[in-house]
Amino acid sequence: MQLTHKSKAAIMIGLLPAFLIYAVFAIYPILQSFYYSLMEWDGFTDMTFVGLDNFRNLFEDPLFWNSVKNNIYVVLASVLGQIPLALFFALLLNRKIKGLKFFRTVGFLPVVLSTVVISLTWSLIYNSQNGMLNEILRNIGLGVMAQNWLGDTKWVMAAVLVTVIWQFIGLYLIIFLAALQNVPTEVLEAAKMDGASEWTTTFKITIPMIWHTIIVAVILCISGSLKTFDLIYVMTNGGPAHSSDVMALYMFNETFNKLQYGYGSAVSVFIFFFSLILIFIVTKLFGRKLI
Amino acid sequence: MNSTLPIEKNKNKQNESRIKKRVTRIIIYTLLSLFALINVYPIVWMAINSFKSEQEFTVNQFGFPSKFNFENYANAWEIANLGVLFKNSIFICVTATVVTVIIGALASYFLARFHFKLNKVIYTFFIFGLLIPIHATLVPMFILMKNLGLLNTEITLLFPYIAFHLPITIFILTSFMRAFPKDIEESAIMDGAGIFRIFWSIILPMSRPAVATVIILNFIYNWNEFSFALVLINDPELQTLPLGLANFAGQFTTNYGAQMAGLTMSLVPIVIFYLFLEKEIVNGMTSGAVKG
Repeated sequence: MQLTHKSKAAIMIGLLPAFLIYAVFAIYPILQSFYYSLMEWDGFTDMTFVGLDNFRNLFEDPLFWNSVKNNIYVVLASVLGQIPLALFFALLLNRKIKGLKFFRTVGFLPVVLSTVVISLTWSLIYNSQNGMLNEILRNIGLGVMAQNWLGDTKWVMAAVLVTVIWQFIGLYLIIFLAALQNVPTEVLEAAKMDGASEWTTTFKITIPMIWHTIIVAVILCISGSLKTFDLIYVMTNGGPAHSSDVMALYMFNETFNKLQYGYGSAVSVFIFFFSLILIFIVTKLFGRKLI
Repeated sequence: MNSTLPIEKNKNKQNESRIKKRVTRIIIYTLLSLFALINVYPIVWMAINSFKSEQEFTVNQFGFPSKFNFENYANAWEIANLGVLFKNSIFICVTATVVTVIIGALASYFLARFHFKLNKVIYTFFIFGLLIPIHATLVPMFILMKNLGLLNTEITLLFPYIAFHLPITIFILTSFMRAFPKDIEESAIMDGAGIFRIFWSIILPMSRPAVATVIILNFIYNWNEFSFALVLINDPELQTLPLGLANFAGQFTTNYGAQMAGLTMSLVPIVIFYLFLEKEIVNGMTSGAVKG
């Protein structure tokens, strides 16, 4: 292109603002956390170099492994809850339904709302005294099943996971619906003419034809659910007794409540690599490009 | 007992299939309505109950309020300092979105339309940001902002918000701008237009649909963001809406009415925004998600 030669300066000027802000506030902190993770530091007094001690302590802390386990639960619940439910409702909506627009609007609504508002609303629903859930159970004569949903170590993860699933079904619903509408109707009609039942066309034709989209959704779902922090922070702050801790919460509390910036940075580094490696494995597994 | 005539048999079969079809329809609509109900009822339940007195809420939480009680709203507005929260959220959200889209579009223009040695490297460097788990940066971000003396200021949140939304912004805009034919700039150059002039009066207007997408995406992400605000801001006068609401609910755990009123008020703008721009928002967020 003609512009190329005289435009070096312009290119620099054009890229600089974005590059600078991004490099300083997104990339640099990560590099810094590698450095801090080798230090012991309370944020005020001088740092001391402790080598890999932070990581050793981290790997020896059962509470940390507990948070990893809960993180995996969140990933599993999202993939096994959101994806099948979203696909199911998308298939229903794809059958020339009246009111399609209404169901789409309503279906996507939770995705737009802030996680904080969702968490607070669901905390009210799960409230042990006046919560909607217990009230419904009492009204239908199942009062014995009423629980302190967020205050009971047995129930808290289940309660949180329901909210997690609820929040994002709509996103995958819309993604699947768009894919389904691209499936050519001739193919389905031809199959029908050949006497294929609806089950057969759904499982042998429709789903294979949108398989690629399903894979994309699964990858999205995994990387999205690794980010869970706000929701649990607001609903339970990891409690009771750490039973709903996830990695980011563990990191947050260890860092800011106990003033262990070095240790917290070590957890950051772990989360960083854990996420990257998991997404890498999943994309490799499904044969998709990483970016 | 096989005395029915073939025609009648056929009719029976037709009837049967019609009934079967109708039953399927009913089942489908029931399931979809259930889905719709579960999706909106939590919000509707909260909005309705926000008008009830504490007393009424305990005895009648599923019906309509006997009379609309605005006391909860007055309380929530005052105690949660909602006026300040709205003001802060709007300022941060609008500023961050505008800056991100402008500098992101400018960078995308050069990445999409110019050949230079480091083009691919810089592009990949930006796109790598899509893979960064934001929560892994909370602690180092806190330390960085502390060192820069940027904790608890009016502009604190702008930096992480802009930085972390540049990757998706640049990704969407670059792929859009790359699709334009090559000779667009050439005729402009003939006319003597400069590089930035071409960006401003040709490329940017042509990218309008993609720009709309990234504006909406940035706006919603910024409006809803919580974790950076939690870590970087603790001055009540500087809190954004999500942070302020979380703190408010944490302090007034037993005042359900005020909590519900506060939450409902914070929902109103975003729900209106959603209902008006539904198509654009849905497209933006799904493409943002798929591409991110």
